[in-house]
Amino acid sequence: MKRHLPGLSWPRIEDGPIRVACHFCDALQDAPRLKEGDAAHCCRCGEVLYQNRPRSLARATGFSSAALIFMALVHLFPSITVNAGSVRRELTILEAAQAMWRDGNPAIAAATVFFTMVAPLVLVGGLLYVTAPLRFGIAFPGAKVVTRWYQLSEPWSMLEVFLFGILVALLKLGAVGDIHLGVGLWAMAGLVICTTSAIAGIDRLELWDRLEIAFKRTN
Amino acid sequence: MEIRSAAEQGLASCHLCGKVSPVDLGECPRCGCKLHLRKPHSLERTWSFLIAAIAFYFPANLMPIMSVGGLGGTSHDTIMSGVLNFWKKGDLLVAIIIFAASILIPILKMLALVWLCLAASGKTRTSPKNLARLYHVTELVGRWSMVDVFVVAILVSLVQVGALSSVLPGPAIVSFAAVVVLTMFAAMSFDPRLLWDQHADRDLPDTP
Repeated sequence: MKRHLPGLSWPRIEDGPIRVACHFCDALQDAPRLKEGDAAHCCRCGEVLYQNRPRSLARATGFSSAALIFMALVHLFPSITVNAGSVRRELTILEAAQAMWRDGNPAIAAATVFFTMVAPLVLVGGLLYVTAPLRFGIAFPGAKVVTRWYQLSEPWSMLEVFLFGILVALLKLGAVGDIHLGVGLWAMAGLVICTTSAIAGIDRLELWDRLEIAFKRTN
Repeated sequence: MEIRSAAEQGLASCHLCGKVSPVDLGECPRCGCKLHLRKPHSLERTWSFLIAAIAFYFPANLMPIMSVGGLGGTSHDTIMSGVLNFWKKGDLLVAIIIFAASILIPILKMLALVWLCLAASGKTRTSPKNLARLYHVTELVGRWSMVDVFVVAILVSLVQVGALSSVLPGPAIVSFAAVVVLTMFAAMSFDPRLLWDQHADRDLPDTP
């Protein structure tokens, strides 16, 4: 079962054959080494067991740094500006949360901040913190905890849902005033794309194999 | 080749890093996570989150999600009346999307989870492959129900313009957010491996 493809797959701490249990059906099976771009599927339920993504660390670092830049833009620039006569309103995520806080719904304000600022930041920042030093075979202190946080934050990062919410809100506003789409909105779209690509760039098992090696080396 | 589950051999794959180690170790040697053969109290936890979500679903749909104050007085919108307004205005696509995200998906997600729970405790007979597909879909679409909550948050901050002097969040919005969060927790605490355990117990041929 074990295939050796030197230079094409990441190193592992044990050189013998590795067994994995499918996280979906728990079938225990051998885990062969894969060529870049290949995926191993569960022999019982067909779930993807793990993948060898091409240039995974480079992709993860690249896309997550880009995502951080987009994130700064999202929070600095308004996504939408509405002009109606003398009144002018701008929208950034933080302002949306502030308005909810003022107008009697602090729970929703906190949820908005958590889903669209905290969770995406933990996700992207955590991924960058772990993968950037891993490119040089180094694990920064706390890398295990950070990896855990970023994996946990994944389902709670809802920027794409928020982006869709903006579109619906615009349609609901209808003909009220002049509406301009701002830099924040495009940055948000960029952020969603970069975040998705950053997570998709690296396999979970590969990341942990690499972390294990890096920790072995530093200790 | 006979397929055996890791649990039968006393092996647990770590929830966090996926490494397979003997469950007797207690902790994953690689990442330090607690090892379990299955997520602890998976069904009980899923049921409780699910029942809480179903309870919140009623106020979420019956009470107004936002109040719009304009020149012609204040109007209260429920989720369904928002959908109907779009429909009447002729925005059929938007109406359908909102209806799907805010009404259909939460209901279907809760029904799917009930079904999965029943199947995992051996009450129904469905092939685990189909149930697996169902589980994947529920995990994937669950977050999108949050869209209405965000829409209200955006409108509240955006609208103090022109004819609409005020938009205020209604009492339903907290319930609605609770439904989404609770169903997400329910899906996370569900352990799909239980479906296959049931399957294996019945001694059916498990070829893909």
